[in-house]
Amino acid sequence: MFLALKEMRRAKLRFGLLAGAVGLLVFLILFQQALLGGLVTQFIGALKNQSGEVLVYNGQARKNLEGSIVLPDQAAAVAAVDGVAVAAPLGEATFTVTAGGGDEDAVIFGFELGQPGQPTTLVAGRLPRGPNEAVASEKDRDAGFGIGDVVQVQPDGVRITVVGLARDTNYSVAPVLFVDFSTYESAKRTRNPDATAILPSAIAITVDDGVTPAEVATRINASVPGVQALTRQEAVDGSPGVASVRSSFGIILALFYLVVPLVTGLFFLIVTFQKAPALTLLRAIGSPAKVLVRSLLVQVAAVVLLGSVLAFGLYAAALQGVKNLGVRVEILPVVLTALVVLALALLTSLVAIRRVLRLDPLAATTGAGVQV
Amino acid sequence: MKLPLRELRRRPAQFVVATIVLAFLTTLLLFLGGLLDGLYLGSTGAIRAQQADAVVYSANARDSFLRSRITPDVRREVEAAAGVDAVGGIGFVLLGAQVPGESKLADVAVAGYELAPSGVSAPGADGTAVADSRLRAQGVSTGDRLLVGPAETPITVVGFVDDTGYLLQGSLWVNLATWREVQNANRPDAAVTAGVVQALVVRGTGDLPQAIDAATGGATRTLSRADAVLSLPGVKQQSDTFNQIISSTLVVALAVVGLFFSLLTIERTGLYGVLKAIGASSRRLFAGVVLQALIVAALAFAIGSTLAVAASAALAGKVPLQLTPERFVLTLTGVIVAAVVGSAISLRRVMRIDPASAIGSAS
Repeated sequence: MFLALKEMRRAKLRFGLLAGAVGLLVFLILFQQALLGGLVTQFIGALKNQSGEVLVYNGQARKNLEGSIVLPDQAAAVAAVDGVAVAAPLGEATFTVTAGGGDEDAVIFGFELGQPGQPTTLVAGRLPRGPNEAVASEKDRDAGFGIGDVVQVQPDGVRITVVGLARDTNYSVAPVLFVDFSTYESAKRTRNPDATAILPSAIAITVDDGVTPAEVATRINASVPGVQALTRQEAVDGSPGVASVRSSFGIILALFYLVVPLVTGLFFLIVTFQKAPALTLLRAIGSPAKVLVRSLLVQVAAVVLLGSVLAFGLYAAALQGVKNLGVRVEILPVVLTALVVLALALLTSLVAIRRVLRLDPLAATTGAGVQV
Repeated sequence: MKLPLRELRRRPAQFVVATIVLAFLTTLLLFLGGLLDGLYLGSTGAIRAQQADAVVYSANARDSFLRSRITPDVRREVEAAAGVDAVGGIGFVLLGAQVPGESKLADVAVAGYELAPSGVSAPGADGTAVADSRLRAQGVSTGDRLLVGPAETPITVVGFVDDTGYLLQGSLWVNLATWREVQNANRPDAAVTAGVVQALVVRGTGDLPQAIDAATGGATRTLSRADAVLSLPGVKQQSDTFNQIISSTLVVALAVVGLFFSLLTIERTGLYGVLKAIGASSRRLFAGVVLQALIVAALAFAIGSTLAVAASAALAGKVPLQLTPERFVLTLTGVIVAAVVGSAISLRRVMRIDPASAIGSAS
């Protein structure tokens, strides 16, 4: 233990370089995990945190809410399916709005008051009670979407007052306003006065007691032509970009998790190789192999710990640059990642340990050279 | 130069782990770059292909095609602006399309146009389209009659064009009348009347954005074509994020090479002392280190590239990964530079080795 730490103090550059490299890699893992979580929440938070247990899209929409319209006869047929307790229209579209003194993009979700489709993560204020009131995404409260702020749909359209805030309800990385369906219709007509009809993007459903959302979705898909019913989770997972973002980041993260232990293992293998004469001598004067192995493991743990501390600093600083993703600095993911990296690093250091165990103390006395 | 090469040949095991680590980092760099290129090229092709100098949106559209509306009156003002030579309307609608013989819907962007983009002929007959070649992967062939959107509007494919995707969907280039028909039938909430388009593409000279926006009295917002590409949803943010990750990964590659060759140099201190004692210069010894770093980097690049190509083939259609020759060249350059700079960390140590240490030294 003493020897391990003393060696690290004396070879600051060598161990500093390794801790720096490990720190950068752990930082990249943490940053990308945060980006992945943040991006997915920012893409589909509003869908995930609304009260519809089943969402019914047009069959042509390919699970894309923005590309879906449900026709009146489809909506009526869906409402009549066995197991559907309440079916209500849910509209979604992106608008240019004036908020906080400037033009902004905002996604407006229109739902029927008291019906499925309303936000479920209210953290301040209240739900809308009538037209021209909204619950806004909490993350955007300082950008002109705070309680009491008035947001106007452009050009010169409906003025909406924010009366509540809900957590993790962004959509397509934009601020969200949950309004009653008539306000949504009004916003749509402001954007396009030539619109011939304002149809819901989806039908939001709550199911009867005794049946599951998955069962009801299956029944709807079997009995109503031209629609695609999805449970809330299926709708979230199937949203455009979510699956490809998850698989892309999954591969990138897997590669990083592969590289960190390899770098650490490589380093300690070389260090062990270099120290072979000294280690052999230590063995010859009576140091048991387990002491040398323990020293090696202490150094691996110390390097990963130092790297993780560095990574946490970089991670906390980098998250300030992506505040728009609503990513928060959390300790738990850092600790978990550091533990996984440590476990992998200890695993790869087994090769170095094997070399330590193979040292022959006799070699120090015979002058026959050191075999490692 | 023979000594470092001979060492590589005789003791390859010593360099294996560093080569493997660098190979994984190369795969990572190519994968990240390929994703960035795939997202960028697949999203922006339709705008990059425009043979135009500027794109005109309505003022309150925040540079979004889907939210922009240009009326005939505004168009006349744009046509009269100083420096404007030619004006064409353009519009997009993102829909699913039924492809003959395919059970899955194809993702299409029906794009109405007047001024032909690069590789696309002048607008054809009503109901016909030139398709982006990415739609071939979804089963589309020349002569297919696609049924587009919930209204199943028919569009017949008469040919293909490369690299004109829009927001990762394959474009179907149609005349403006067909685009309006598709839009109005499938998206009644976004219906447009005759003469209305989403945006204008403009050819001309001089400061077009300034001249056009002044001519319309602020009813429009005009961007250069390059700015219009960057204003597409998510394009700039994606580029910034991925470039940051790629830069950080390059720094890690540099640290790995630096670490490896520093340690190797420490290990060879005695040997270098002997070589210096018999007349080898520091420059020559350092050149040997750099040469070894370059060979390790080149080998790692070859292995990493093979892995990246294999990953790309295995993931075809699942992630928007696009490996371009430029990306390979850029990554090779990055890895080589990281290798040279990383190995240079050993320079100070090589310079400091005292030939006298070879005399009487057991090492």
